[in-house]
Amino acid sequence: MNMLFPAIVFAQAAVIVWLLMSRTHRNPTTSPGGGYGQPDLSDQIAGVSGSRFRAPSVDTRIHTRVVARMADLFATSIPPGTQPDQPVECGQKDIKETLHKTAPGVHRARHTPAGRRHMATLRALHRVLSDHRGSNSNNESITQGASHDGLVDDFRNLWQSLPLAVFMLGGGGEVLAANARAETLFGYEDGEMIGKPVSLLVPEVDDPRSSLWRKDIPSASPGRPSEAARRVVARRKHGTEFPAEIVIRRSFLREDTSTLAFVEDRSDHYELLRNQQDLAHLTRVSTMGELAGSLAHELNQPLTAILSNVQAAQRFMAADPVDVAEVREILNDIVQDDYRASEVLRRIRATVKKVDMESVPLDLATVIRDAVLLLHSDAIVRETRVALEICDDVPAVCADKVQLQQVALNLLLNAFDAMSQVAPKDRVVWVELTLQSDNMARIAVRDCGHGLTVGKLDAIFKPFYTSKPHGLGLGLSISRSIVELHGGRIWADNNLDRGATFYVTLPTGNDTGNPKSRY
Amino acid sequence: MLEPETLVFVIDDDDSVRRALARLIRSAGHSVEVFASAQEFLAEVDVDAHPACLVLDVQLPDLDGLQLQQQLGATLPIIFLTGHGDICMTVRAMKAGASDFLTKPVRDTDLLQAIEHALESANQCFASRCERNTLRQRFNRLTPREREVMALVVTGRLNKQVAGELGTAEKTIKAHRARVMTKMEVTSLAQLVHIVDRAQILSAGDNRPSA
Repeated sequence: MNMLFPAIVFAQAAVIVWLLMSRTHRNPTTSPGGGYGQPDLSDQIAGVSGSRFRAPSVDTRIHTRVVARMADLFATSIPPGTQPDQPVECGQKDIKETLHKTAPGVHRARHTPAGRRHMATLRALHRVLSDHRGSNSNNESITQGASHDGLVDDFRNLWQSLPLAVFMLGGGGEVLAANARAETLFGYEDGEMIGKPVSLLVPEVDDPRSSLWRKDIPSASPGRPSEAARRVVARRKHGTEFPAEIVIRRSFLREDTSTLAFVEDRSDHYELLRNQQDLAHLTRVSTMGELAGSLAHELNQPLTAILSNVQAAQRFMAADPVDVAEVREILNDIVQDDYRASEVLRRIRATVKKVDMESVPLDLATVIRDAVLLLHSDAIVRETRVALEICDDVPAVCADKVQLQQVALNLLLNAFDAMSQVAPKDRVVWVELTLQSDNMARIAVRDCGHGLTVGKLDAIFKPFYTSKPHGLGLGLSISRSIVELHGGRIWADNNLDRGATFYVTLPTGNDTGNPKSRY
Repeated sequence: MLEPETLVFVIDDDDSVRRALARLIRSAGHSVEVFASAQEFLAEVDVDAHPACLVLDVQLPDLDGLQLQQQLGATLPIIFLTGHGDICMTVRAMKAGASDFLTKPVRDTDLLQAIEHALESANQCFASRCERNTLRQRFNRLTPREREVMALVVTGRLNKQVAGELGTAEKTIKAHRARVMTKMEVTSLAQLVHIVDRAQILSAGDNRPSA
């Protein structure tokens, strides 16, 4: 996500530069018609892909505006900060000044690899502009046409080499231009995408419930916060689908507007996510394996009741007269016990099933109670009591139920383990659900065991860190990735008297930070 | 004297299991009393009042089945029920005198047979406990001198020998002996010997009135 924005801004800048160049070439004096998708603009864009236009000259004024515009765009996505550490090689003072003045924070991005890459590209772009303009104004003998041809070629190369797919769209959502990355990503031949509806590539655009394609598509102007990239399912030419992120922006260029769509392939990201979920699933299955004994007992109770009830009923039926009231009561009890047994099975199945993550509004109290019920027999065998303090005012959180239950199970089992050396009468786990702030729910699981080693309070969340003889060391690390995936936080602290408390905070209400259920 | 009713106590922390077991046991004609925990049982039941047996779940919160067994000693036969009993648990329970050890879910015939068997021994225990109590009451009516006389008489000594040992006249012993026979409600020496043996009244130097 973070990498996407500088790239988008840069791409947008490049496109704008291009448009300016082409405008200067085609019709330097007349005003263009307003609105995107105008014939002259489409021609220009088609020219971008089809390599059929030539710009004879570059206007110095426009040139400076381009750089200012680019700098503005950078400034919208990168907070203001430090001055550049090395001067940009530049022959023209005004360009350099414009750039530095308008976007001082651009240079902060150099600290990340992606940022460095974009900085390098920016400098290259800057150099291209400066060189052309410099030669243009300093040496009148060089023909303007030759100079501009080079510039256009440079921009064409830039457009084609952008690391993310960029589309230019018409008013009806048809593709006017697509860069090389877009063609490769979606599996189309050179120029084949032009004229195709964008909904063919991203079907969600057509979905009336989606607000992807709307009249008021925001433009990337200075001071406007960047809009979050949307997660969508993109479709290749041959029908295969892949997870992607899309940003749709309107760009204003004098009175012209064009719509730009930036698409980034997120397959790698989701594969990582899937691997994480597979691991989470494996540890859930392993936890259930450890609980098998107590879960069998949990099922055995209703089965015992059903068998005894049925056999009692058989005896009552054999008596004369038959005690119908008693038999009716027995039948009711059997039904209840049957429900109870199937509920145990449902909870087990829900925990071990392997499904794609889904984000639904959840009552955290139910999640906690379900986890406690799963551990009911285990708690009895371990002579441990679980005390619940549930605040009823906690609003729902948008989350995956199975995964949150896994976190709850994990924290409860850890608390049980921590108290194995404690006298049975003191083995109590306190589970507390409160509203920490307006939009943050907090779960606290407090034990009175041996506590945590000071200095290891963070290490316990690292993978393969374990203090148990038979532990895998994955429980807490998976819990952390689950909690963080839901936009929350997990940490541990020693209690003042004895034992430790594990805290989990989760944002309440609608959380758009969750991955789409399909991936 | 009216025979006290036999009772089956059931302790299980699971409501529906407890209800079902109670029904099944009642369907066989027994009276049942149910408890959700060992503490509840200890607080409410006088184990000496009835011939009774106990159907006891091993896994109970706080005080578990085996711990309750230890506390109760041999006062009433215990049938253990468990969801997942292991050999170790079974051995412990049986060594401590459990009447039976059954696993859940339990077949009606197994449980009811075990209850019949346990109640049989409970009835026997109860009868001998009653007899012992009656005899002890009779024994408590004897004077210390009469107890001394009885202790010697039941060993087969003649009145004369008893008189010699106690340093008194044979006539006096004869009178004591007649009062012992009356108070102990027997008509022959053989009967006296039998009940003294049965009730183990004179064992371990116990020749003083008990409280």
